[in-house]
Order: sequence, then structure tokens, then C-alpha cells
Amino acid sequence: MLTYITRRILLIFPTLLGMTALVFFVMGMAPGGIGGTMLDRFGNLKSEEAARVREYYQKRYGLDQPLIVQYGRWLNNISPVGTEEREDGTKRFGVKWPSLGESLEQHRPVSELMAERLPITLLLNFISLPLVYAIGVGSGVIAARHRGGWFDRITSTTQLAMWSLPTIWVGVMMIGFLANREYVKWFPTAGMHDMEAGNMLFLPSHDAAGWHLGYVLDGLWHIALPVVCLSLGSSAYLMKLTRGSMLENMGADYSRTARAKGLPERVVIYRHVFRNSLLALITQAATILPAMIGGAVVVESIFSIPGMGQLGVQAVQARDREVVLAVALVGGLIGLLSQLIRDILYAMADPRVSYD
Amino acid sequence: MENRFGVKDFFIVLLLICLIVLVVLGMTQYDRQYKHMLTIEAVQQEQTGDLAKIRRMLEQGGVSMGTREGTMQPGNKVLGDDWIQPKEDEFTRMKRVYAAKDFAQGDALIDTFGVVPDKLTPLISTDLYSAYVQGAVLDTLCVYDPDTLGWLPNLATAWRISPDQKTIDFKLRHGVTFSNGDEMTADDVVFTLEWTMNEKVEAPRARVSLDKLEKVEKLDDYAVRFVFKEPYFKSFETAASQQILSKKFYSKYSPTEFNRSVGLLLGSGPYRLADPTSWRPEPGKPVQLVRNERYWGDPAPALARMAWQVIENPSARLTSFKNGEIDLYTQPEAEQYLAVRDDPELGKRVQAFALDAPQTGYIYIGWNEKRDGKTTHFADARVRRALTMLIDRERLVRDIKHGLATVNSGPFFTLGVQADPAIKPTPYDPAGAMKLLEEAGYHKVNGILVGPDGQEFRFRLTYNAARDERKRICTYVQDALATVGIVCEPEAMEWSVMLKRITDRQIDAACMGWSATPIDDPKQIFDSSEIAGTGDNYISYSNPELDKTIDAAREIVDMKKAIPLWHKVHRIIHDDQPYTFLYQEKQLTLVNGRFRGDVATKKLGVSPSNEWYVPAALQKYKD
Repeated sequence: MLTYITRRILLIFPTLLGMTALVFFVMGMAPGGIGGTMLDRFGNLKSEEAARVREYYQKRYGLDQPLIVQYGRWLNNISPVGTEEREDGTKRFGVKWPSLGESLEQHRPVSELMAERLPITLLLNFISLPLVYAIGVGSGVIAARHRGGWFDRITSTTQLAMWSLPTIWVGVMMIGFLANREYVKWFPTAGMHDMEAGNMLFLPSHDAAGWHLGYVLDGLWHIALPVVCLSLGSSAYLMKLTRGSMLENMGADYSRTARAKGLPERVVIYRHVFRNSLLALITQAATILPAMIGGAVVVESIFSIPGMGQLGVQAVQARDREVVLAVALVGGLIGLLSQLIRDILYAMADPRVSYD
Repeated sequence: MENRFGVKDFFIVLLLICLIVLVVLGMTQYDRQYKHMLTIEAVQQEQTGDLAKIRRMLEQGGVSMGTREGTMQPGNKVLGDDWIQPKEDEFTRMKRVYAAKDFAQGDALIDTFGVVPDKLTPLISTDLYSAYVQGAVLDTLCVYDPDTLGWLPNLATAWRISPDQKTIDFKLRHGVTFSNGDEMTADDVVFTLEWTMNEKVEAPRARVSLDKLEKVEKLDDYAVRFVFKEPYFKSFETAASQQILSKKFYSKYSPTEFNRSVGLLLGSGPYRLADPTSWRPEPGKPVQLVRNERYWGDPAPALARMAWQVIENPSARLTSFKNGEIDLYTQPEAEQYLAVRDDPELGKRVQAFALDAPQTGYIYIGWNEKRDGKTTHFADARVRRALTMLIDRERLVRDIKHGLATVNSGPFFTLGVQADPAIKPTPYDPAGAMKLLEEAGYHKVNGILVGPDGQEFRFRLTYNAARDERKRICTYVQDALATVGIVCEPEAMEWSVMLKRITDRQIDAACMGWSATPIDDPKQIFDSSEIAGTGDNYISYSNPELDKTIDAAREIVDMKKAIPLWHKVHRIIHDDQPYTFLYQEKQLTLVNGRFRGDVATKKLGVSPSNEWYVPAALQKYKD
């Protein structure tokens, strides 16, 4: 097992290398090239002036170099061993801090941008993920137990709707109806916190003016709609999956044997059938997490919560080399790691699976 | 049984997760407290400084109570005749508005941004949003009069232009302080310009605009001289619109530190950042400015706070606006604007002002007169005029822009001084157009127009694929020209590809837009020297008479004297029709109804918010 994990971890590096190379060269060879759209967006600058500004940035970020040199430089930057330029301009070879470079568009270190945006995307996902599993698995199990019953029929229909509705439409509708004074104003329309959040107490409080939400609840209240939006599709998918897998196992020989030896139905379902159905759910965990991070792009832009997804989209539009690569790197890493974890969990859950 | 993950284990894991969450929450709260403390500390330090200053003044025998009133005096000396010293300034305008009976200080103005600005540090920030914030924090030497587009004094009280039109002197106002209490003097003005010109500062865009500036000199503590390399009609604007930075504050930083900074923003304007050094973009949180209590102007603006809520999605913006969560929605979609404007019920409840003002830029079709060294159909001015007459631009405005645009007759801002109001847009006249085309030697063969050289009149009309509106324009033009037998094939292109084609001169005709300033320099677009290389005259339009007139007009700094020449430029371009000018879009704004004062459309958009206030009964936000 340990050798397997080591091998898998070592394999991550060439995979990431190939992936970033692909992203980099596709971006570089597209019409306009790296920085293309960004360098052309100069508002009212006339072309002669724009050309001078462009020249300045090209020199500053080495965009005038051949693509392969640019990619080599980037690899050197992110590698912990390589050449490093000192403050005085001299170069040094050795161990150094890996760096994600500087955004061409925002002129700020990419690591700083990531540090701002990544926690938001992770927060959204870490709140949504348990929710997705609780709703999906819970309703799936109940629906399978009472197959064809009213719960099964109602959830099947609603989940089908949840699965098919585009997130962007659901988001806009939710804002239009649930955050609109003309209908019901239960939720805020945008952002992570209220205007006055800076002066709020941390926990909910009560005074002469009534109840105050406090900083924590205010935050939760703001991300309620985005989280619901983000969880809809995945939870429907998981519910269908759990239901199908449960039904399959309920009809299996071992469940019949369990029932035949007189075990109560509850024990059959939860100790035998449910545990065996878990395998399919574990497999899906690896696809749901990266998919949710990708899906957060839409949710982030509807609810104006600028996370990683939005950063990535803006960077691609501006062909912001460093940011696109960093987002691809982080996204790829999350994807590969969740696959690794899935494989390990799989082996843990199913004694028949072995990687040795 | 083997070790299995049981219910007990599940709860242990859950407990552990809860513990971690609690620790993280605790740390977040610590951070909040720490930030708050830093702000308090900074304020306290400033107050200590103020107290020390007051103590010193007391020891020196008495405090002059007149500093605030004194700020309004331009200086004791009587200035010579060559000085221009307007009697009105923005404060006289504000006083007029603030004289209203229901006037009250206080409340906030909540505007919107599409994204969080990357940086607020002046010069190095590149997005438009940070410019809004900087505009409220930093002061310029002069400001535009929103009614006349003339210049009103601000940090400068008087100015004069030398007879050779190469130097401009400014008298600075006495008693102006930055928001940290330092006085503003000529040193700060000189520093600002030198800092901008410093190659190590990442401000290539700002440097481009200072292209023609040679140097800035300090004449005395309250007077500066701008020296330009050559007479240029935009010199005054260049000098007058510089946002003045505090030397004492910014010179503490090296260019590298300055380039890396995110929120170094301190000025002498009516508002300030709560902490001028440590602002950071926080996703999902509004950008906020508070009143600068040391503001030198009298009266200070009525609104105590400015904030920008970040809302990316247009429909969420409209909902927020209707909810009253945001007070200002600039550039709503035309449909949203009309929905608010034309719904009387909604209008009553939301109490919104729906305002529109013309924009300075314009949308046009450029006809390329030369491709691959050969002249095209468009080389004949009669053909270009005929094309303009075939396109019903009033209808375009009505059908595509919902009437929210004005047809223009030339490259200048319709309400600006450069445009000749006597020149009206060429009217829609298909019969007249046909006559012109026949005159130019065109006739129909098999339903298609054929030129004097026997070539079919066939061309591609290129547009930016991302703009849906341009697509509709081009489809309309295709239909309109088909009626007389001209084959126009609209061609959608990705923006960066289109730009490449334009710099390579590889297009027939292009439907595009130019942004412009109220006083604009047409040389880059229409001068024949711009045909070569990658200049903006990508249509190879050349008229020696126009070149001469533009050059003559550009040398005159005093706009009033140059007006006849600019009108001539307008006339020549109108006669030649190198472009078919389609329209100038309108700038749409929705404003919450609780604002009073001069909430109206001015020449350059909505009136400045320092001329607004909220009556006490309607105030929503506390100080």
C-alpha cells in the first residue's frame, strides 16, 4: 500500500507538468498570444500610446521572449531548486522559495491573489459538501427503503428537476424572488458580509433595538443562497446514485440470506446493504469535489463572491499567464489528490481491493 | 471483527472538526480586533500630533481662528491681468445647493463595482474602479464645471498661460491640508509629477499622458510652473487634472515598495480611507471611505460616507437597487433602465432618478480606402457619403439602442466646444445616395452594383464577436445596402484577432467604437501621418487640408481661440465621411430617490455627488 501511495504521489508531478505545459502552450499559441486581450485593453489610449505601454509591460514580464523560454522561466520560478535573481540583479543557483510569479493584469503576486480567493472557494465547498452528502445519501437511503412510495416519487421528481436546472438560472431566480423586496427579502443579494459588518459583534446579541446577527451569522446568512445553489445538482446526483446502489444491494443474495436468518430489516439495511453501497459513493467523492470547485465559477459570479473560479475566468479572458497557470496548478492538484484519496478509501472500505 | 469505522469514531471525527472550526473562528475574531485596534492607534497618533500642534500654537500666543475661512483666500497679493482667476468655484456651487431648507449633513452614498479593485494606490492601479475611489480621496488643481465644461479652481486658485503657450503657472490655495494633517504646498505638486515621471514607478499609462511635459518648477511655496516641450492644446488639462499626492507621505516609500503596495492612498480630498496604508481587497466586502475631518474645503460635502458594494451580476444589481441596498447604479442595461424609468408604480416605490447623459465616445463604421496597395470602392468620398445616406441611423438608435443614443455628425463630443453645432448629421436619403453612386460611375448588373472599373461592389464588414449590439448593427447595414445592390458580408471576429487585422490593414470595413475625452485630439485617428506603421488611421484616409488644420489647432492652448479651427476640422471630416458616424451612446444612471440637491444630468453625466444631500428625515446610514 505504501509503495502504491508513494508511486501515485510521484506520478502527480509529471502529470501536473504535462497539464501546465498544455495550458501554457495553448494559451500562448492562441491568436493574440499571452497577455493578448489584457495588453489591448487600454480604454481611451490611442494605438501609439498603447503600443508604448504594451512595450513596457512586455519588457517587464518577458512577454517578448519565445514561448519555450517563458515556460522554462515559469518552471524555474515554481521549482524549489533553481536560479534566483537577487535584489542587486546578480543570479544565484540553489535552493529557493518557489514562487507563482506576478499577475500581468493586477501587478500583484499570484500567491497573494490565491491567498485571498482560495479560502472563499474552499469555504463554500466545505460547507456545501457535507450538506450534499447528508441530503443526497439520506434521501437516497429512505427512497430506496420505500421504493415506489410517496417519498421516493416526490424526491425522484424534485431531484430530477434539481439536477436539470442550470445553476445560473436558479441563482438569478433565487435573487429575484428570495432577496427582492418586492417578493420576500429573506436573504442578501450579494457579497460575503453586510456593509456594517466591520462594527458588528462576533456572536449574535440582543439589545434595546432588537436582535443583531453578529459577524458569524451575518457571514452564514450571506452564503446561504450560494451554498444552496452549489449543492443542488450534486445532491440530486448523489441521491440517485445512493438509491440505485442500495436497490441493487437489497436484491443481492447476501441480503436475502440476512433476511432469511431472521435479522430485523433495519439491521439488514444499515449494517449490510448500506455499507456495501458506500463503495459507489466513495468513487463519486473524487469527481464531485473538483466539479464543485469548477461549478463555483458560476455561483461566485452570480452572488458576487469572488473566489478562485472567478479569478480563473478573468485570468483566462485576459490571458494572464501566471494566474491561469497557478489556477490550473491548484485545480489539477486538487483533482489529482482527491483521486488519490478515493483510491486509498476504496481499499480501506473494500477488503477485496488491494494495490500490492 | 476487524477495526471498523463505527458510529463512535464518526462522532470523534465530528468533534475534532468542530474543534478546528471553533479555533479558526476564534482566530478570525482576534484578527478583527487587531485590525480595529490598529485603526484606533492610527487615529490616536494623528490626534496626538494635532494636540501637539495646538499646544505649540497656544504657547506662541494665541490661535488664529481663521484657518478654515482663510483657506478660501487665494493669497494676499493682487494678481496681474494675465492671471485667470475665476470667481466661482465648486464650493460656490455647493453653497447654492446647501442653502435649501431641508438640507442636512450626514448619510452615505452606496455605489456599485463589478469587481473588487485590485489596488487603490494611485498611478499604479489600472482599473476604472480604483479611479472612482481615488477621485474622492485625491484633489486636482482644477475641476471641470459640469455645466459649462470650463475649469473651476480647486487646489489652484489662479493660473496664467505664457504668450509662447509653453508654460502654465498656478497659484496654489493656502491652508490646504492632507487628511493626515500635513499642509499641501508647491513641493507636493512638484513631487507628484517627478514621482510619476520616475521610470522605476510602474505608471506607464500616466507617463504617456505627461509626454509633452518637460518639467515642473516650484516658484514659491504656493506657486508652481509647468513647462511643456511644445505648445499643445491639451497642456492645460494635463496640468490641471493631476491628482496631487503628499510628498511627506509617499516619499517614505521606495519605488519598489510603492509598486508592490496595494492600498497606499492618502490625499487632500473630502473623503479618506479609514487607514491610508493597509487597505487590501477583501472579496465580497465593500470598499468604504469616511469623511476627511480635516478637509479644507468650505462647505464640506454633505454625505458622510462613500461605499462601493461589489455586485457582479446585472440582475442582482437591479434587485439590490430596487431593495434600496445600493443608491447608485451606473450603466444599467438599457432594458433595466427603461423598466425603472417607465414603470410608474415602481418609480413611486423605489423613488429613483433615471438619468441619461451623452457619452463622449462614439460608434462608427470605418471604410478602408486602401487594401494591399490598391484603392477600394471607399476611396471615393461620394461613395462614402452615399453609404452614410443609405444607413438610417435614427432607426438604429430607435431599434437597437431603445432611443438611448444620439446620432452624431463627427468625431467630437456633441456637447463639447470642438463640435460645430451648425453641422447636422447627414440625413437618411436612399434616393440621394443612388444619385451620388451613379455620379461616381456605379451601375447595376444583375442586381449587383458595379463600379467604374467593372468591379462588383462587395465587401466584408468586420465587428467584435463579443458585442451583440454590433452584430445587430452589421446585419441591419447588410440589409440596408442590399436594397441598392451593394453586397455587405458581416464578419464576426474575436477582439484580439480583429485588432491584429486592423494593425495589418487587412479589413474592408469595420464597425467599432472609439472612446474619447470631452476635448479630444483627432490627429491619431485622421491624420495621414498615422497611416504608416500601426497608427490608428487604419482606413488610409488622407486629406492634406485636414492635416494642416489639425496641426494648427493643436498648437493653441487657449481653447477659445482655437474653436474656429476645430469647427473647420469637424466640417472637413463631415464632408469627407471617412467614417460613417453612427451614434454616441448615452450614459445611464439610476439614483436612489432619497437624495436631494442638484441630482440631474449635466454635460458629462450625472452631477457630482458633492452637490447632493439627504434631508434628515430620509437619512438611512448613521455616521
